[in-house]
Amino acid sequence: MERNASSRALLSKIKDLTTSLVKELSEGRSPNICIHKFRNYCTDPNSNCLCSSDLPKGQQVLTLTRQCHACRIDVLLRVLVIVQKLLQENRHGSKRDIYYMHPSVFSEQSVVDRAINDICILLQCSRHNLNVVSVGNGLVMGWLQFLEAGRKFDCINSPTTAYTIPVHVEEVKDIVSVAKYILIVEKESVFQRLANDKFCNANRCIVITGRGYPDIPTRRFLRLLVEKLCLPVYCLVDCDPYGFDILTTYRFGSMQMAFDAKVLRVPEVQWLGAFPSDFEKYDLPQQCLLPLTAEDKRRTETMLLRCYLQKEVPEWRLELELMLQKGVKFEIEAFSVHTLSFLSEQYIPSKIPKVEVLPGNNFKS
Amino acid sequence: MEISSTSNLCIHVMLLAFHYILFDSILVVYPFRNRWMETEIVAVNFLCISKMPSISTTLPALRRSQITISFHPSNFHAAIKSSMQFLILESVAAWKNSRILTAAALYLLNSGVNHASFISIYGTEICLSISESIDVLVSEINHFFQKMMILNIPPALRLFFFFFQNIAIELLIEREDIPGSRCENVFLANRSNPGPLSTSNVEFLKSGLEDYVLKHGNSLTQKCSTCFATSECLKVGSGIACSTESHKSSGLMMEVVIIISEIESTCPCFRECSSKTEVLYFKDFTPCSISHSTLNVLSTIDWKSYGLTLENVVDRGVCVLEWEDSPSHSHIDMVVHCYHKQYPMHKTQLERHLIKKAVKAALNNLKEKHPGILLSAHALKICSHAPDLARSIAGLILSSNDPDFQGECFSLLGLQSREIGADVVEDCIEEKIVSVIEMNDRKSRQRKVVAPFLFEADCDQDSNYQDKEYEEGEDEFGYVD
Repeated sequence: MERNASSRALLSKIKDLTTSLVKELSEGRSPNICIHKFRNYCTDPNSNCLCSSDLPKGQQVLTLTRQCHACRIDVLLRVLVIVQKLLQENRHGSKRDIYYMHPSVFSEQSVVDRAINDICILLQCSRHNLNVVSVGNGLVMGWLQFLEAGRKFDCINSPTTAYTIPVHVEEVKDIVSVAKYILIVEKESVFQRLANDKFCNANRCIVITGRGYPDIPTRRFLRLLVEKLCLPVYCLVDCDPYGFDILTTYRFGSMQMAFDAKVLRVPEVQWLGAFPSDFEKYDLPQQCLLPLTAEDKRRTETMLLRCYLQKEVPEWRLELELMLQKGVKFEIEAFSVHTLSFLSEQYIPSKIPKVEVLPGNNFKS
Repeated sequence: MEISSTSNLCIHVMLLAFHYILFDSILVVYPFRNRWMETEIVAVNFLCISKMPSISTTLPALRRSQITISFHPSNFHAAIKSSMQFLILESVAAWKNSRILTAAALYLLNSGVNHASFISIYGTEICLSISESIDVLVSEINHFFQKMMILNIPPALRLFFFFFQNIAIELLIEREDIPGSRCENVFLANRSNPGPLSTSNVEFLKSGLEDYVLKHGNSLTQKCSTCFATSECLKVGSGIACSTESHKSSGLMMEVVIIISEIESTCPCFRECSSKTEVLYFKDFTPCSISHSTLNVLSTIDWKSYGLTLENVVDRGVCVLEWEDSPSHSHIDMVVHCYHKQYPMHKTQLERHLIKKAVKAALNNLKEKHPGILLSAHALKICSHAPDLARSIAGLILSSNDPDFQGECFSLLGLQSREIGADVVEDCIEEKIVSVIEMNDRKSRQRKVVAPFLFEADCDQDSNYQDKEYEEGEDEFGYVD
């Protein structure tokens, strides 16, 4: 019902947009398509930026006076025709499906992605509202139970069994959990390590992985769990620039999806590890260290310029600076140098605060 | 004037005479073999007759005066250049004056010419004997008058002879060794109503070039009705540039007329050289060759902003612009006329600056009067997206399940809402998109033209359309979003 109402509203907006284009052309005027610009960070930490707000930061006007704009409008309208059909027919399509409808015009997937984002901004909605879905890549296990489109996900019955995070997160309901916290791990290898070690049997938690950079369903699902369960969220990533960037994606959102950051970011995320300082603290041998490549250093220096690192998580910035200063990185799996289950039995438990979790509390590691 | 050939000298003589032609006169030019010379030479007679007779009237009956100057070919080039000019000017300007005989005699005494054999002066007829193949000479004379008719009527004379309207030139060709070989070429002014005295020079130039095109280079006496059934076949644009802001003050004037004609390739008169444009250049009402510096200026004009790609500028005595990828059924004709508002003439550096302005003004005039032509390369690129844009907008309308919305869109497009085919809707939308793109292109040209120049020197920096892609604040890494 709710989805139908949302579809009708969007179809009405599409018709309004089309009518506006036709009217302007019929009156001999060059049509303008205004697309708001969003960002979730800037690189000028001294300015009084409003990056933390969800408001647009300017706009771009697409016209028929520039060829690049004409190309972009062409792609946007082609995708819009497809979206209108999906909504009218109550069907779903993936971004890849859309790409293959006009591969010679779209030329590459990112062109379609940009058009979809433009349409979301124009219609002021999220991607899933357009019935455009992406393949779900995330996994979840632990003390959690929910329904999705009539299908029951009973992780509680088998806390160490991995379940695929549903793509249609809007269909998830009846969430039940006895977990004390949510643990995000960067990589599937670490997720499987915890599963093999039966981590969730010994620890009342929910474990999620995006298997690298988290996709939209994973981030939406995480956001939903946090909103519904009000649990602390800890993030475990490799001690390298990629791991840090994945951490900031969970916490602050991505620049590409900045227009929808308010429904995708999870401000409650806390950085559990691995810190550069953990290397000495947990007696990792030198051979576990890897030198930062030139590209690693360049990316780290670029990330250090992000305004939210200075304004909202200065302690994260300090650890990142330490990584750059030491010039070395290491993976989570390095902890296995002690024992295979060192991560599950010692590292993670030592990092999680030993306090009772009450709904609505924010905890700092 | 560089005398590279006797033909060129002959043409120069004709030019000088033409400038002074009486408004109501016929200039009769006929080459003949001088019977008094032992060697085979060809003479050219210029005859100005003070009244407008019927063309069929024979020449001798109307002859008032005649100057015949004959020289031996061997010292021809060395002796004559400025002397000839002096003599002819004197004779034509004072055709009733007895000073003519005196001037001619003085010339003979002063020039040191040893082989002058015969001079006869009959007022406004000038006889110049030169050695040349008659066929080559006649061809050059024909070509000369074909071009001269573009100028239409010398404006300086309109002030004095406003009650006369037409000018005609008759070329009689007769070989004395071939009895009955006389043939005539007549070059008539085009109009019975050339316009009032107040008509500007550029309007005369326009009508002259139109005639030139309609008569296939003035090789016909009437418009070619096969190629040009309607006036819409010609698209005419003109531009003027002058060296001072006010046209009232004296200075250098540059007038350009450009005609785009469209004829079918099946027409028998279809010219194969549609990808080439001969630039007809006049200076002070005289056809002449274009200077090298002016050629360079033509090659620096931003032709691409008018959808034209200049492949080459060829100087073979005449300036030819060679176009790349020009439509086979279109042809561009261009005339450039540079003159001073007042005499005496003096050279100026401004000419090559003005020609660029005048050519651009003519091209912009064409665009303004005929929407859809001479679209810039930039606009053509945007137009290439028009069919796809139209198809998508039509798709949004036609694939909608809301009939009220469809009806509203059809109404806005001016279409009947019943049984509308997708092609009809797409074509309608595409037409409107192209119209908007053309309007944007015209507006962008107008913005560039209105921008004033601070100095006389041409500081027109043709800007390039920078189609930079919009750069967002992209993340450093790839995402699976």
